[in-house]
Amino acid sequence: MFEVRTRIGRVVLQVVATILILPYLFPLIVMVKGAFAGEGAKNFSAVLRVPGFGRFFLNSIIISVAVIALVYVVTMMAAFGFAKLHIRAREVYFWLLLACLTLPEVVLLAPLFVTDFKLGLYDTYWAVILPLAALQVPFAVLLTRNFINGLPNELFEAARVDGANSWRGFRYLVIPLTRPIAAAVVIFTLVAAWNDYLMPLVFLQSPQLQTITLVPQFFVGEFSNDQTKILASAVITAIPEIVAYLSLQRLFERGLAAGSIK
Amino acid sequence: MTGTSTLTGNRVGDERSADPSGGGRRPGRRGPRRPPGLPWILPALVLSVGLIYYGIGYTGYISTLDWDGVSPDPGHLGLQNYTRIVHDPVFWAAVRHTVVFFVVTFVIQTVLGLVFAVLLHAKVRLAAIYKVIVFVPVVLAPAIMAPVFRHMFAPDGELNWVLDHVGLGSLAQPWIGQTSTALPVIMFITIWEWTGLTFVLYYAAMTQIDPSILEAARMDGAGNLRTLISIIWPEMRGTTVALAILGAIGALKTFDVPYLVTIGGPNYATEFLGTYIYRQTIPLSHVGYGAALSIILLVVALIMALVLQFAGRERGAGD
Repeated sequence: MFEVRTRIGRVVLQVVATILILPYLFPLIVMVKGAFAGEGAKNFSAVLRVPGFGRFFLNSIIISVAVIALVYVVTMMAAFGFAKLHIRAREVYFWLLLACLTLPEVVLLAPLFVTDFKLGLYDTYWAVILPLAALQVPFAVLLTRNFINGLPNELFEAARVDGANSWRGFRYLVIPLTRPIAAAVVIFTLVAAWNDYLMPLVFLQSPQLQTITLVPQFFVGEFSNDQTKILASAVITAIPEIVAYLSLQRLFERGLAAGSIK
Repeated sequence: MTGTSTLTGNRVGDERSADPSGGGRRPGRRGPRRPPGLPWILPALVLSVGLIYYGIGYTGYISTLDWDGVSPDPGHLGLQNYTRIVHDPVFWAAVRHTVVFFVVTFVIQTVLGLVFAVLLHAKVRLAAIYKVIVFVPVVLAPAIMAPVFRHMFAPDGELNWVLDHVGLGSLAQPWIGQTSTALPVIMFITIWEWTGLTFVLYYAAMTQIDPSILEAARMDGAGNLRTLISIIWPEMRGTTVALAILGAIGALKTFDVPYLVTIGGPNYATEFLGTYIYRQTIPLSHVGYGAALSIILLVVALIMALVLQFAGRERGAGD
């Protein structure tokens, strides 16, 4: 696309790129260096020995998996309905859903707090899973509906002529054919659920239920502000995310790019 | 929506969407009657529309109360919470911070994202590694990075250490602890976090530009910079508009970073609408007031999305 023909030009570009990348690298270096400061690798073993540390990971996994499953099922069904089935006043429903796209989650704090208490959901996984899923669904449906719109109607009509009901059309056409877009939905839902901070902060009180985003605060109490231990815990919690990204690089980049454009 | 077409890939030039015959498939041609779809969309409606509209309605109701969140019999205030907001200096400070934050982070992120996309298309060495370094922050939870940034910007932190060692020791300062630098710190962290996404989107948008257009420009003697300004940048306006909407809504949603790095301070210097609503609702137990702030935030977010959407579309049609 861009051609830089001279040697000097190439060198200049390389230098510019390197200088620009430094501010992005710097915080990562600070994190790792700080985690090894003081007692060195012992910081990590101290963090790993804290009882219940693994629990934070387990909780984040449980919540993320539940959110993904819920979003996936509900989204695929709705996108299929919107794209290929008959719904009176379809666009009204669709706009109701789309209006939710811009909702900042903090708006839901007070009502969810009150309602969770009434229903006994406060301090359970559901108090986090349901709002997180509800907030991801509108965009997931928008994206998936556009995708299914692109599948030929003849495919679905032919299946119907052959006697397949909507369920079979869903099971044998929609599910397999939407895999590329489903991957994007899964990735941006995963990152949104895994990284969410406000919902667990407000709705999960018992440490046995809390997620990894609450780890830093937990360790501020645990190690009375010993920075090296806190940074070690940050490194440990960041590792699964970095590994997941590195092993599925293109999927993450595409999925998050797709998920961001609302 | 403007943005979605970017990723489904049919945005190469606007020819297709500008095609007067439209989608082609729709008019007149309905085929056999389709089976009913309402049951299929019902779960999504119950979950999202149900939960979210219920929440908004409830928030609207709470916003008319003088309520601490526990009292069984809160007083009714009508719209008094809203009139109080108009005279609340912290609210207006939060609005100001949000606007400054959006403009600065959006402009810098766009420029940096574009520059990285261009550099990587120009085939610099180590491109794969550079890409990973810029994109990793997108994946990392801000909540997990917050202690790292508190450490880095501390008076005895790494940033001041570096400044000292490159002979800029006079610039060393308590970045987080003073009002003049706290907001820029929050903006730096946000830019650090999201440039990767801007970059990936521009990178992808550039690959979709028809090579023959670039070829033609080159034949006419246009240099790299000229091509970038006159051809590539206009071709990518769909991506830019989508990123502007994303950035504006993101600015309105800002919570994690200021809450965890500066706690909205010092002296409200990094208070945003999100952190202010949280402060009022949870620690201060001014639940009614927090709800009124929430409703205002929601209205602003909706208006912002609509305005940007239409602004983007109109100018797009103009050129």
